[in-house]
Amino acid sequence: MSTPSDPPHAPVEVLSPDEADEQTRVPLAIEDWLTVLVMAALALITFANVIVRYFTDQSFAWTEEISIFLMIVLTLVAGSASVARNRQIRIEYFADSGPESRQRALARFGSLMVFALFALIALLSIRMVWDDIRFEETSPGIGVPRWWYTVWLPILSVAIALRALGLFIRRGRAS
Amino acid sequence: MIATLLFVVFVVMMLMGVPIGAALGLAGAACIALANADVQWWGLLAVPQNFYAGLGKYPLLAIPMFVLVGSIFDRSGVALRLVNFAISIVGRGPGMLPLVAIVVAMFLGGISGSGPANAAAVGAVMITAMSRAGYPAAFSASVVGAAAATDILIPPSVAFIVYSVLVPGASVPALFAAGMVPGVLAGLALIVPAVWMARKHNMGALEADLPRPPFWRSLREATWGLAAPVLILGGMRAGWFTPTEAAVVAVFYGLFVGMFIHRTIRVKDLYVILRESGELSAIILLVVSLAGIFAWSLSTLGVIDPITNAIVNSGLGEYGVLSLLILMLITVGMFLDGVSIFLIFVPLLMPIVNFYKWDPVWFGVILTLKVALGQFTPPLAVNLMVSCRIANVRMEDTVRWVGWMLFSMFLVMVAVIVWPELATALPKAMGY
Repeated sequence: MSTPSDPPHAPVEVLSPDEADEQTRVPLAIEDWLTVLVMAALALITFANVIVRYFTDQSFAWTEEISIFLMIVLTLVAGSASVARNRQIRIEYFADSGPESRQRALARFGSLMVFALFALIALLSIRMVWDDIRFEETSPGIGVPRWWYTVWLPILSVAIALRALGLFIRRGRAS
Repeated sequence: MIATLLFVVFVVMMLMGVPIGAALGLAGAACIALANADVQWWGLLAVPQNFYAGLGKYPLLAIPMFVLVGSIFDRSGVALRLVNFAISIVGRGPGMLPLVAIVVAMFLGGISGSGPANAAAVGAVMITAMSRAGYPAAFSASVVGAAAATDILIPPSVAFIVYSVLVPGASVPALFAAGMVPGVLAGLALIVPAVWMARKHNMGALEADLPRPPFWRSLREATWGLAAPVLILGGMRAGWFTPTEAAVVAVFYGLFVGMFIHRTIRVKDLYVILRESGELSAIILLVVSLAGIFAWSLSTLGVIDPITNAIVNSGLGEYGVLSLLILMLITVGMFLDGVSIFLIFVPLLMPIVNFYKWDPVWFGVILTLKVALGQFTPPLAVNLMVSCRIANVRMEDTVRWVGWMLFSMFLVMVAVIVWPELATALPKAMGY
């Protein structure tokens, strides 16, 4: 039995298992597998930290820098999948009611705005990375060149922007 | 002028359904560009810098870890065994199942950090059990949705972690301790109307005929679940681990219990668990980092001080201002989720908090109580969405039942405002 006013989108913090996945040209499995690997790595590194400190009295603190980097990668990679699936936190009250043509137009507008923002971040962060290379900035914890970390910001921002563009195109097609 | 434009653009975009993170980021970027028209690149380099810096904070790591804990315990079979144990204690009287649902949700609140995850775990077990006993599905969904709202008050809590990142003066352990008493009070406040309504409308008439699980066997089976909050909260209290580490210990404990003791999690489920919790964390973290751009643009524009001055000089007095804030937040909470409310409003409200010398920990508890209420206030009630989907009812049908529970929990919020010690005494006693 399906109910007429079932919420059309899963609430933010619980994904619905029976919802059909978005059909994308570039498989979402890329982001999904990266997400799984990064999540597992984050859990294992943090757990190893607890174990090592407990048994050897030694601090493993330099891993903090890697954990932070992995968390940034997680946010951008899994964020890219969530953009493609249109699962961002948004006010659905007006956007998901009313005639279907209006719903579709608003969904397209939203994805266009996401595209604009991440295209902007990608462009501007290239300059940020260039500064890191030019001034030979090093990371505070391990002392490796900072751009090793920051270079992923423009790359992954482009990925998010493209996912938003893909959503824009898919929502434009007649269903 | 620029600030007004910023807010208008931002609000219109949000109402049109633009993702909140994107609306925050774009409005912030537009503002920075307008305010720095004569600087190289219009000062926009601050956009990626703030985005990156907003994410690169070690305490935020607790968010993906606690989301992962919720996802694992959701599947670990712990909820079912806790329910059996609770029924074996209270027995099969009228109104006992709603009570069990609320108590188990509070208990799971001591393991998981997010309301909707809690609603999913408790709802999956309780809603079928309650309809078998003759409770209307809409009532069951209301009870589960409301009970799960205590989750973000009872430590650990994702909401408190976000608040702590925004407010340097409020540490995570202090907030966790401060949420304990109000969280338990909120749970008790829900039990009263839930049991009363069940008795008044003669619901659950079939319940008395159902078998009562044997006490000792239920206790033995529930042991693994009962030990989890002891490990998490006790470990943090004893100083064995930080909140992030406590979360990761809970992750491996939950995996162990789910995979080897209850055998409800198989190896191939790990992919789904990690993918789902990774994506949910990213959705939250993206808003956190994009809100960093917005907050930075607000601070450079210097709009917060004039607004603060206007409010504190409005002649409303301390409690007048507080009532006004709560009224405003309740209105906003009908459309926005809790994390977004924190990210948008905490930077705006902190100067007011400082002006009146309110305790930031106490204020965090009040805000979280407000958000908890919003989680089961229709139309945008994340917990009710989950429980209604499990119960297969429309959210409109729950309106009849949630009203009294909302009112009862609202009284708890009033109590915490009138007697701040309810929140502040425990962290003080524990020395945070």
